[in-house]
Order: sequence, then C-alpha cells, then structure tokens
Amino acid sequence: ISLPASGFSSLQLNVKATLKPEADKPRCSSTPCSPIKSTVSGYQILHMNSNYLVGFTTGEELLKLAHKWSGPEKSNTEALPSPVKKPVDLGLHRASRIYKAKSRFYQPYDIPAVNGRRRRRMPSSSESCFRSLAASEPSKALHGPLPLCLLKGKRAHSKSLDYLNLDKMSLREPADTEVLQYQLQHLTLRGERMFNRNKT
Amino acid sequence: METGIVLFEITKPPLSSEDRKDIDPNAGRFVRYQFTPAFLRLRQVGATVEFTVGDIPINNFRMIERHYFRGQLLKSFDFEFGFCIPSSKNTCEHIYEFPPLSEELIHEMILHPYETQSDSFYFVDNKLVMHNKADYSYTGAQ
Repeated sequence: ISLPASGFSSLQLNVKATLKPEADKPRCSSTPCSPIKSTVSGYQILHMNSNYLVGFTTGEELLKLAHKWSGPEKSNTEALPSPVKKPVDLGLHRASRIYKAKSRFYQPYDIPAVNGRRRRRMPSSSESCFRSLAASEPSKALHGPLPLCLLKGKRAHSKSLDYLNLDKMSLREPADTEVLQYQLQHLTLRGERMFNRNKT
Repeated sequence: METGIVLFEITKPPLSSEDRKDIDPNAGRFVRYQFTPAFLRLRQVGATVEFTVGDIPINNFRMIERHYFRGQLLKSFDFEFGFCIPSSKNTCEHIYEFPPLSEELIHEMILHPYETQSDSFYFVDNKLVMHNKADYSYTGAQ
C-alpha cells in the first residue's frame, strides 16, 4: 500500500479480521493501541497498532540515513559477510553521491552509469552492496537494504494503458516485473506512433 | 472492517512554498512498512485515502497495485475512482482482499524482509501519471 507522493493528505487502514481473537495478554503501561504521534518526512503518524505494524519509513528518511552512514569514518562494512561478493565501498559511495545529486527525475529501474555504461537490474533483486550496509551495526537504522528506486530518479512519462494490456494479464502468469517495467519505459503514445506511421 | 480495528493512521500537512523548494518531489514515491507476522494472518484490510484535486478535473482516475514476493506476483488490485471534481477533497476506500497464503509462503515472507514489494500505478484517462513503490517486512522488528 504505497502512499502517493502528493495531494493525498491522510491514510487510514482498517482491518476485518476473520480469525478468532487471541487470549488476553497482560498489558503494560504503554498499550499496543496507544496513539503514537510522530513525524516522518512531513507525515504525521496519528495512530499505529503495534500488534500489526511497528514501523513506517519513507524514501526520504532512508536516503538521509544512508547519507548519514556513508561517511568513511562510520562505515562498518566488514562487520558481517555478504552472500554476494561485491565491493561494498562502491555501494556506500554511490548512496552518498546520488543523495547529493538531488536528481529531479525518477526512473526506478536504471542504475547509475558505471565506466560510461548503463546497466539494468531487476528492482526486486537484492542489492548486496546495500545489504552489507544494512547488515552492519550503524545501518540498522536503515531498516534493511535500500531499494533501487531511491538511487536515481527520472520523471515518469505519461504512457497509454492500452499498450500495457494490464486488463488482459492473467494472474496465473508468473510475475514478470521486469517485463512490465521494461514496457513502461519503452511505450510510445498512440498519437506519436500514428504520426510516425503517416510519415513513412 | 467488521472489528473496526484501526492499524495505522497518518496524515500529511500541506507543504509551504519554502518547504517545497528543498524537497525532491520524487522522494515521496517510496515507503517502507514494518509489519508483524500477525498481519499476514489477516484476510481483508481496508484503506481509506483522502486526497485533493487541483484545478483540472480528473477523468477516469484509476489505480492498479501489484504485490510481489521475490518477483512472483501475489495479487493485483484494481481500484477505479472515476471522475474527480476540480479543486475538491475526496475520500475513497480500498478493500484489499488478501490472497490465500500457504504456511510455507508466510514463513518465507517473514524470513525475507523487504522482498515483498508493491508497485502502484495511477492512471488518468488511461494514461499513466504516477508510479509509487513500497516494500514490506513482516518480522515485527523495527
């Protein structure tokens, strides 16, 4: 359930539980349903039921934390081994550099150019660079690896739903996230295609 | 819905013109939730969203949201808002019916935080106007 970036002023989640309620548990002075009023990147949290939800973080907060811990004196990337051998320093440097760039565009599926070449990645793949960052003690505040979509931004282009054929996709089909994202990036507007066709 | 248990309530005051200058407009396109394992036992969750519309009327406002675990589609949700009056404040409710989750899948989702992810696509007149992402943890740890 992603919160829209702008124009949406409040979000309330209600639950319908069909399971039987659990036995009463002893309560401490701070009950799980106590309203928690805190602010996260401009959002004000009015209520959080800790029986179900214990944390909420925005991309802005994650980037701030990554920037905070990306300094060389605070890096602790050797604390835990990474399952995939990749240079952690590159990841730390990248987080700091991208954060400082303050890109005005959003494109979640490309990664910054390395040696003059762009590469594509599945956004659902684990980022081992950031996993190491997340696994180390100072980065616990990051709550896990940074999502790829925060590393670089490009403005989303308006595309036509017709070409996505979202209505016709079967749920039984394996989720081809990468294909859908590839389609989103390479769609052309219907008007543009007709214009190009007429020119030829 | 029947129990009326509110899981989460959040609001965002409108930004001042000074605040807008310093904030990357794309920074709010991603959110991260940290749920407890109990959340995965729910069957239906309602989300009430309040939003404002600018000066231009919105035709055929629609949101398609897809949830994945490790690249595999869990469920696709399709919500149609319809026509939105310009300069209006609107409230809508989405009902998320959870897909059946096996015990094994629940176990895996808990074991692998933030590998459950979602994409939300917003359309106006069948044109994509916005895309947001979210990821989820179910370990109950902050």
